[in-house]
Formats: sequence, structure tokens, C-alpha cells
Amino acid sequence: MKKSIFEKKWVSVLFWIVLLIIAWEIGAFIVAATKRTPANILPHLTNIIAAAFSTKQVAGKLTASEVVFTSAGATLFRALVGFVLGAVVGYVLALLMKLSGIVEKLIFPYLMLIQLIPVIGLAPIILSITGDINISRVIISAILSFFPVATNVLEGMKAVPKDNYDLMYTYAAPKWMIFSKVLIPSSKPYLFTGLKTGAPMAITASILVDTLQGDGGLGCMLSQSLKHAMNIYVFWLIVFFCAIIGILSTYVIGWIELAVTPSLRVERRTSRPGRPKKNKKALIEKNGGMNNDSSQIQKV
Amino acid sequence: MADTEAKREVEIEIKDLGVSFTDNAGNPVQALTGVNLDIYKGEFIALLGPSGCGKTTLLRSVADLQQPTEGKISIEGNTPRQTRLARKFGFVFQQPVLFDWRTVRKNVELPLEVMSESKEERAKRAEEMLEMVGLSNFADSYPKQLSGGMQQRVNIARAFSLKPDILLMDEPFSALDEFTKEKLHMDLLRLWKATNKTILFVTHNIEEAVFLSTRVCVFTPHPGRLANVVDITLPQPRELNMKNTMEFTNLVAQVRGSFEGGSL
Repeated sequence: MKKSIFEKKWVSVLFWIVLLIIAWEIGAFIVAATKRTPANILPHLTNIIAAAFSTKQVAGKLTASEVVFTSAGATLFRALVGFVLGAVVGYVLALLMKLSGIVEKLIFPYLMLIQLIPVIGLAPIILSITGDINISRVIISAILSFFPVATNVLEGMKAVPKDNYDLMYTYAAPKWMIFSKVLIPSSKPYLFTGLKTGAPMAITASILVDTLQGDGGLGCMLSQSLKHAMNIYVFWLIVFFCAIIGILSTYVIGWIELAVTPSLRVERRTSRPGRPKKNKKALIEKNGGMNNDSSQIQKV
Repeated sequence: MADTEAKREVEIEIKDLGVSFTDNAGNPVQALTGVNLDIYKGEFIALLGPSGCGKTTLLRSVADLQQPTEGKISIEGNTPRQTRLARKFGFVFQQPVLFDWRTVRKNVELPLEVMSESKEERAKRAEEMLEMVGLSNFADSYPKQLSGGMQQRVNIARAFSLKPDILLMDEPFSALDEFTKEKLHMDLLRLWKATNKTILFVTHNIEEAVFLSTRVCVFTPHPGRLANVVDITLPQPRELNMKNTMEFTNLVAQVRGSFEGGSL
């Protein structure tokens, strides 16, 4: 059966983008007619694009785009370091919690608690503890990203069916092998789910802390621009830039997952609709198995 | 026949075995009681009965997956635990229990990895086992690409790969269609003959038990106990057309009769 054009993925993506642009522009016209400072609320997209390519210097000798890119470096670097740190800590915590139920009972409530403190309250505390503005921002990013990693990985390890343990038990496998051969590989999809949630959070946290503490960075420019200390379109450029980086981070992690999971690649290849199946020969006998693709353990 | 009689050597000795546990509601359940059974080397034993008769409990007790509350099991003078730690069991579960992230080859190599066999030895043995179950062409496929019957064959290849003395099989074919099942029956009998393992095979299918085994142990529930043992005198090697013989029909009737006479 031939698929209708509306079932193709790029068509639906395009549809939503066009719809969003139309809605935005209608909004922009209304705002322009009724508000005093329309650029603060909802400027026309063309103005934002024009600002991106404008050569007008808005801060010192820098154009609007240059302001965004130069301040992005520091912010994104802190976000990345914090994210990696948070992911490692989160993963180790998940392993420890799986290793010992006592550890889980002891630390899990505190992990929850840390997540409940708003970043705005946490930032000054961390700053006064570390005494270094850069380190404190990295730690804030780490705090926001370790939680989804820890909880997802722990959940993944808990979802391992009992018969997997029974199998390893009949081989008299030592405990570390149960981790290395069963728990770690089978929780891998959960790890990537955690990373996909954590990455945009790390970026958001990094920007948010910038706005609080100043000293350069995207968030700092964001608040300056909003207070009209700088061209207002810098604000909008940063908003779009951050959205794109956040979305990209999720995609990049998805690509990494695909790169390190050969079985997932095979699964994607054989289940992608509307394309010739490459290894058709291998699949002749397996109609039953193919329908199981949806049982893929990811839940976002 | 005289030849097999001569080297009859008890491999598994089950004495007054009883297993009880408490169910989820906290009530004590007697899963098995007073089981006495000697299993000889190279036998193919079918453990047959309806659900709740304790046949799987017996299998799991032999494998050290379950602790008996009474009596004891001895395997060539050793406890089930010692035997398990010596890696002499191959256990075939009802579900294939394959790891999705490993290729078929890597799944078969899993027990050998646990046993720290060298890479060359693992590759060689996996190759051999996959050849035996007719899946050489699928060595680099992933489990999800295979049909249920093929997955179960990987499961069996994996159990054989660690060269166990005793193969414990828990309703391995119950989820398969009749045609696949017959094919796997013949495969299994061929492997059994070729490797001379002792096999304990749990099933709730009377024909399957009679066709495959040298002895059928009939279990009845409430409480689970060994009600009868029927010697299967069908000639070896077994052929599919034996199912049409009078002898087969009579043996099936005899096995079925031991249920009706019992406290079912």
C-alpha cells in the first residue's frame, strides 16, 4: 500500500513549522497595533532575522550575532562540563543504589529534595560554598542533569526481568558480571532517555544562573538586552539560539545512542516504513518478530 | 539394550524431596512432597503434569534455583549448589531469555564469557553450536529479527555451548506452533544422541513427553507428588512416524491413565 504524503515525517514537521510562523506573525501584528514596546513582547520574525544578519554594532565593536556567539561559548562550555559531570555522578549513583537497597533508601529522598529546591535559591548557596563563579555554575548544571540520569538508569536496572538473573545464576556468574553483562547493557536505552532529558536542563540552568550572577555569558546578555541596555533583538536571538541548541543536544545524544547501539540500528533499518528492506532475506522467516519493534524499551 | 543396562549409573538421586513456600497471600503451599527418583546417566526424563503439580519446582530444585524444604538431591555425590558452581547445568527456560543487544552468536557465547573461555574457543564453540541447530546463517542477526522457533533454537544452542552434563528444560516448546515444535523435537533428539547428555524435560503435553523421553514421570497436584513412572519402550532413534504406531498410542493411553487413577 502506498503511503499518503501526509504520513511522511518531514511533511508533518514542515506543516507545524509553517503553522507556528503564521501564528507568530498574526500575534506580532496584533501586538504591534496594541502595545507600546512590541519588540519586547512579540516582534516580527523578519526583524529578528534582519538583526541576526545586521552589521550594526550593538555592544562595543560587536554585532548582535557576534554578541550571541561570543557569550554562548562560556555558557555552553559550563553547561557541557556540568552535564558530563552530572551524567557521570548520576550513573554512579544509580549503580550504587542498585548495588545496595540501603544506599537507595538512604540517598534517594535527598536526591528528590535537591531537585525540589529552585535553582534561584540554590545558585547563591552553591556560589558561597565554592567561592568561584565558574565552578558554581558548572555545579548547578550538574545538579540539574544528574537526576534524570540517575532515576532513569535505576529504573532501567530495576526493569530487568527475573529470568535474566536466573540465567546468569545457572552459569554461577559473579555479581560484577551480572552488572557488566546484564544490568549495564539492558539499562542503556534508559541512560539515553535520561541524557536526552538532562542535556536541555543543563543548558537552561547555565543560562538561568548567568542572569542571576552576571559576569558574561548568554543569560547576562539576555537580561541586559531585556532592560534595553543593549539592542532588544539580542534577547530574541538568544532565545532562538538556545531553543535550537537545546533541540540539537537531544538529537546529538540520539545519534550517539544509535552509533553505540548496533542492535538499534538494525531495528530502525528493518522497521522504517516505506523503504525497501535491506536484509529481506534474513527476515523471511520472522513475521512474528517484526511487530515487536514497538516494545522497544524507551519511554520519553 | 544389554549394553545400556550394563552402564546404568545413577546421576541424580532425589530422596524424599519436599518443597513448600508461602504464597503472596501468606498461606503455606506444599508444592511438592515425598518425591523419590533415581535418574541414570544419559536418560531423557520427561516431567509431566498439569500446572501446579510441582514439576517445574522439581526442575528448579535440581538446578539450585529453589531450595527444598525436606529431603535432598544429590548429583554424583554433590549438592545441586556444588554442581551449579561447577557449571554442569544447562538450563533452557520457557521463554528464550535472549539479550536483545547481543547478536545470536554473542548470545550463544554468553555462558562461555562467564566461564572466561578464550576468544578463539568461544568463537569456535558458538560456530559449532549454531551449526548444530541450523542457524549458522543467522549468527550476526539480532534476536528480534528471528521467529519464536528460531529464538528457542538459539536458547538451546546456548545451553549446549557450555557443554553441560545435565540439561534442564522447562517447557521450552510450549509457546511454539505444532510444526515448529515437531522440527525442534527432532533437533533435540539428534543433539541428545550426539552429545549423550542427561535431560530433564518439563512439559504438560502427554504426546510430547512420550515421544521424546525414555521415562515419563507423571506428577499430580494438591499437593504435588510423583504419581507414576512410565518406561517408554519405543525404539531409538525416534522417528516422527512412530506417533502413528499402536505402541505409541498405548503408551500415551497408559500415561493418561495414571492421571485418571490418581487424585487429579
